[in-house]
Parts: sequence; structure tokens; C-alpha cells
Amino acid sequence: MAPIIHTEKLRKVYAVGKERVVALNDVDLTIEKGEFCCIVGQSGSGKSTLLNQLAGLEKPTRGKVFIGKHEISAMNETELAQFRQQHLGFIFQSYNLLPTMTAAENVALPLMFKGIDKKTRLKLARKELKSMGLLGRANHLPTEMSGGQQQRVGIARAFVSNPKVIFADEPTGNLDSKTSKQVLYRMLELTKNQQVTFVMVTHEPELAGCADRVVTILDGKVCSNVVQDEVTKTRNREALFADLQGDMAIGGDAAKEKSN
Amino acid sequence: MKISDEISLSARNLLRRKGRTALTLVGVVIGTCMVVLMISLGIAQNQANDEMIQSWGDLTQIEIYGGGISIGSDGKAIKLDDAALTQIRELGHVLAATPFTNPYNLNGTITAGRNNRYVTNIGSITALDPVALEPMGFALESGRWLDTNVINAQSKKIPILVCEYTGYNFYDSRRSENSPKRYRWQGETDSNGNELPPFVDVDKDKFTLTITTGDDANAKSQTWELEVVGKLQQDVSKGWWTQSGIIMSMQNLKVIEAAYNKMEKIKDTNSSYDQVYVKVDDLKNVGDVEEAIHELGFQNTWSSNQQREDMQKQVFRSQMIFGGVAAVSLLVAAINIINTMTMAIYERTREIGVMKVLGCEIANIRTMFLMESSCIGFIGGVLGVLISLLVSFILNNLTTIMASFGQYVDLSGIMGGYGASSSTISIIPLWLMLGALVFATLIGLISGILPANKAVKISALEAIRHD
Repeated sequence: MAPIIHTEKLRKVYAVGKERVVALNDVDLTIEKGEFCCIVGQSGSGKSTLLNQLAGLEKPTRGKVFIGKHEISAMNETELAQFRQQHLGFIFQSYNLLPTMTAAENVALPLMFKGIDKKTRLKLARKELKSMGLLGRANHLPTEMSGGQQQRVGIARAFVSNPKVIFADEPTGNLDSKTSKQVLYRMLELTKNQQVTFVMVTHEPELAGCADRVVTILDGKVCSNVVQDEVTKTRNREALFADLQGDMAIGGDAAKEKSN
Repeated sequence: MKISDEISLSARNLLRRKGRTALTLVGVVIGTCMVVLMISLGIAQNQANDEMIQSWGDLTQIEIYGGGISIGSDGKAIKLDDAALTQIRELGHVLAATPFTNPYNLNGTITAGRNNRYVTNIGSITALDPVALEPMGFALESGRWLDTNVINAQSKKIPILVCEYTGYNFYDSRRSENSPKRYRWQGETDSNGNELPPFVDVDKDKFTLTITTGDDANAKSQTWELEVVGKLQQDVSKGWWTQSGIIMSMQNLKVIEAAYNKMEKIKDTNSSYDQVYVKVDDLKNVGDVEEAIHELGFQNTWSSNQQREDMQKQVFRSQMIFGGVAAVSLLVAAINIINTMTMAIYERTREIGVMKVLGCEIANIRTMFLMESSCIGFIGGVLGVLISLLVSFILNNLTTIMASFGQYVDLSGIMGGYGASSSTISIIPLWLMLGALVFATLIGLISGILPANKAVKISALEAIRHD
């Protein structure tokens, strides 16, 4: 396995009033290609800051971030936008679908930024929605969908452009536990099928238990970085998804989702 | 990102807030209407003024008066003579220059009909340089132009041009001076209402020019036959003499004058012309040429261009005042657009953040917002021009419209014209429509710059913020 994400002495300091808060303190981290990686930690530990740095949403105070061979911490805004367009996907806690667009159009959005024509991108979007079991909702507006459905649209949007890395910031944070499990299952499945690297921030230890790698952040430092063995992963996954069985079939639109 | 996608996203965002977009549009529409109408009123007034001045005479003609004596720098009197004419013709932009004379100083008559019964004064003759006629815009109804050849002393035939109503110039010398039948005028009818022809038929009758000197006892006279070679087309703007004059070449009139002076034994002849007409190639050069003529020493000139410039200045002044008001309303419209766009950006902060995270380049974001604001400007401009056309139509037909309600209004001259009675008080040419559209779109575009810059500065992190 080759490293795909790599940081060197990554440091981020925020100025809060006159105080300086060290959110990340010389983080050295490497994530291998194709891994499903969870970043866990308490509120304020710096896990979201770390994700923002890895995805290039914020400039580090010091240190370097590499994705593949590209040093994204040295890119300007236009280069970053193009890099995100080509290589990254993103899933948000509050879904962030554009309210004026249908599900299919939302999924096709990253392809639109890439300059792919309407027909092609909508076709790809529908294919992605189908794999998320949401083809029937393709022409619905976000307001006409439940939270779980919206987040699945969000996942489809992250995967549609075949990115190298997908970042997810507490993607299940706004969902109830059953829907969370369904959504996590989809993400694990797609990560495996499409061979992307998935980096997810969560504060739910039971979800993190299913990941290939669990990075724990405490006070801006990596306090543990564990690659879980197959036995542990399988056990944790079976335990987590045990009560879903019937609902997990592909096209599981029938799954009862509680709207937020 | 494709331009078509940018357009579709912009349109979608405009339609999302229909009410607000509509209100912003109203501002642009009012501003555009004001500007277009103000300019259209000025154009109409200028046109009405031009028409009025045109009726006074040719706009590209300068008249120089030779009366009075001016002294040049060398101490000699400056004469408006042939040498001066040559100088004037050599000025830039001068198409032609001709002396213009009616020989009232000679004692003579022109007669026609059996026994020279029908008579008119020698002053009916207008003498011009025949070369200048065509460049000065005169046209022939029939026949040919006069030539420049001078008749020799023996020749008793002088070519002339006549006009449509030259025949009415003649009176019946057999009738007493008090008799109403002595004269005949155009449009006169007999008791049955039939129109009476003039005494002289210019197409058939022969004309004889006679000059006489001395009293009954030692009276001397000399005669020439006047041969009609063509008929001049009537052009009242160039003078009433084009209706009923007898036109002769200046060169030939000089021969007659010389003969007259010889009979009268006048030696001291004045070679200065009373009046010279100068034709300029274009309206815009009239001022310059007039100035150049002044520099030659001929201060006493007249052109309708002087009046025209004064009038245009006055119209321009009122246009500036009204235009200022219109500009203020457009400024308000621009502020309106800025406000609308800024609000839209605040509302869409998160969306912009999301788009950035998903890989939308900042140039695309800027383009989208600029398109939205330009679109408001453009649509406002289109509606504004359409409404202006409607208002313009109503203004132009207001007299008719109000008359149908039993009211009388007269709006002519509201832009400070000289009361030219023209019913057209607003003219919107194509260039004004297109100009207004471009201008309104530009205002939209410029108003969008500030908000668009704000939009591109929004951080991608806005998308992550949990609230």
C-alpha cells in the first residue's frame, strides 16, 4: 500500500481575541491509499481542523500537506479549486444540497464544475443515484426528501466524479442511529468498490470501529493511530449492521428513514 | 465550467427571488425610461429647430455682404470683387462661391408679347455665376444650364433661365396703373373660377431686354433678345427668386452694365459685389469657413449655422438639466442592484462555500454574479426602451389623444426650442435604443462588481460551519 495523504509538522493556530489557540500541534500523519480512515476525538480536539487542512479548505499556519505527489498546502485558490474538482470529493454533516436543484442536478454539480455537458453528467448522476437506491427521487428537490435520503444524495455527489480521496465531516451527525448505519454501510461499500480513500471525522466510536484506520486526536495531537486488523473490523461491522439485514439490499429505498 | 451552465445557474437564482428581482428591475426600467425620453425630447427639438432653420434657407450657405468699406492691414479698402471671390473659392471646404445681384441700379425693362405689351422691371433679373449653380444645390426642371461664355458686343442674344412662375412678373402696360386688370397673380381666377394663366408664357414668348438712358428728348436705348435655355426648379429655401426670377450669368450682366455705363457716361465703376453666396461642403465646416471669410476681411456675413448653433446650445442646456435628473434615477437603480446582489450573496453564503468545496473556480463564481447583475440591467433596459417607445408614441400623439377628450395641449418646444410648431416632440432613433440597452447592461455589470468580489472572498469553510 502506498501513502496517499501525508502531513509534515502540520500546525494550525487560531487567534481567538487576544488568545492564541493551538488547534493542531505538529501533526505528522500518513494515510494509505484505499483506506477507510476515521478521525475521532472529543469536541474541540482539533479533528475537524485536521480534516479542513487535509482537504485544503484552510491554509496551515506551518507545515505541509501532500495528497499523492501534490503539495496542496502550497497551492493558491485557483489551483486548489481545480485540484478539488479533479481529485477530491466531500460529504457534509448538514448535506448542503443546493435547494433550487433536483437530486440528480445536485449529484451532477461537481461534473458541471468540470465542464462536462449536461446530458452526460445527468446520466452519470442517475447511475450514481441508482447505486444509492434513490433513482426514484432523482427529480425531487432536497426539501422533498428526508435527511437520510438527502445525505445519500450527498454521498452520490461525492462519488460521482471518481475522486481519489473523499472527505466526510461527521456525515452521520444529523441522522438517527439506524439511518447512520445505513449511510455508513453505503460509504464502506462504495469505498471498497471504487477503491477510493475515505477520510471521515466522527465522534461515534462504534462507527469508527468499522474503519481500516482509526486516528484519535487529543488537544491538537495524534494520540493514537491504529490500523485495525481484519478480525476486529469484521466483528465490529457484523455487530453494527446486525439489525439492518433486510433493509440493506441495494435499492433499499424502502428503508424507513426518520427525517430530521 | 461551461458558459451555458453559468447562464442557467444565474437565471435560476434570479427566478428564485422573483419579487425582489422585479422590484430591482423597476428601478432600472424607470432610470432607462427617463434617460431615453430626455434624450429623445432633445433630438426631436433639435430636428424641429433644424427644419425651421432649413425653411429660412440653406444651412450650408454663407452670405457675404459687400456694403460698407473695410480697410485691410495694408490700408487699402477691401473689395468684394472677383479677386476676393477667387480667394474665397480657394478656402478649404468651399464648394462654390458666386456673386448675387439684382440690377436695380440700371434703368431698364424686360418686355414680352405683341408690341412689347407685357412688361417687368430689369430688377427681376438675378445674376449669378453659372458654374456655381449646380454645386449650390440648384436643379433644372428642363433645358440646360447657362454657359460661362460672354456674349460679344455684336451679339444681341443673351441666354437666361426662367422659373415656374416667371410669367406672373409681367404686367399689362396697356392698362392704367389703377386697373386691377394690370396685374395677374398666381392662383387668380376668373368669374367662373377658372385659373387665369400669366400674361406671358415663358415656354413660348420671346423676351426683350431694353436699357434706356436720358430724358425723352435725348433718350438712348439698347436692346437684347433674352433666350430661354432652361427652367430652374423652384427651391424657396434658397430664395423667392427661384419662383419667379429671370436668371442670367454674371458675366453677361456685366456686358449690359458696361453698355449702360457707356451710355450714361459713368466712368467710376464699383467692382465690389453687393452680395456673395458661399456654399460649404458640410454643415460641420460652416463655422470654420465663416471664420476664414472673416479673416479675409469680410466681417459682414450671415449663415443660418449661427442661429442653429445657438439653438442647439440651448437644447443641450435643457437636456443636461433633465439628463441630470435622469442620471440620478439611474444611480438609484444602480445602488438598488448593488443592494439586491449583496443581499443575494448573504443569503447564499453557504451555497457559495459548498460550490467552492466541490471545486467551483472563483472565476466562475464571479462570472455568475456579474451575469446576474448584468441580466437585471439588460432586462430593465429592454423594458425601459419598450416603455419609452410607448410613452414617446403617447407624447407625439397627445394632442390627438387629448382632443378626443375635448382638451387642448401643446407640448412643442418644451426643451427650450424656438416654438417650432412640430407635432413630433419625442424621437427615439435606433442608436438611442441600442445605446440605452448597452448602457443599462453596463450599469448592471458595474453594479455587480462589488458584490461579486464579496462573493469570491467567501471562504470554503462556510460550507462546514454547523448552525
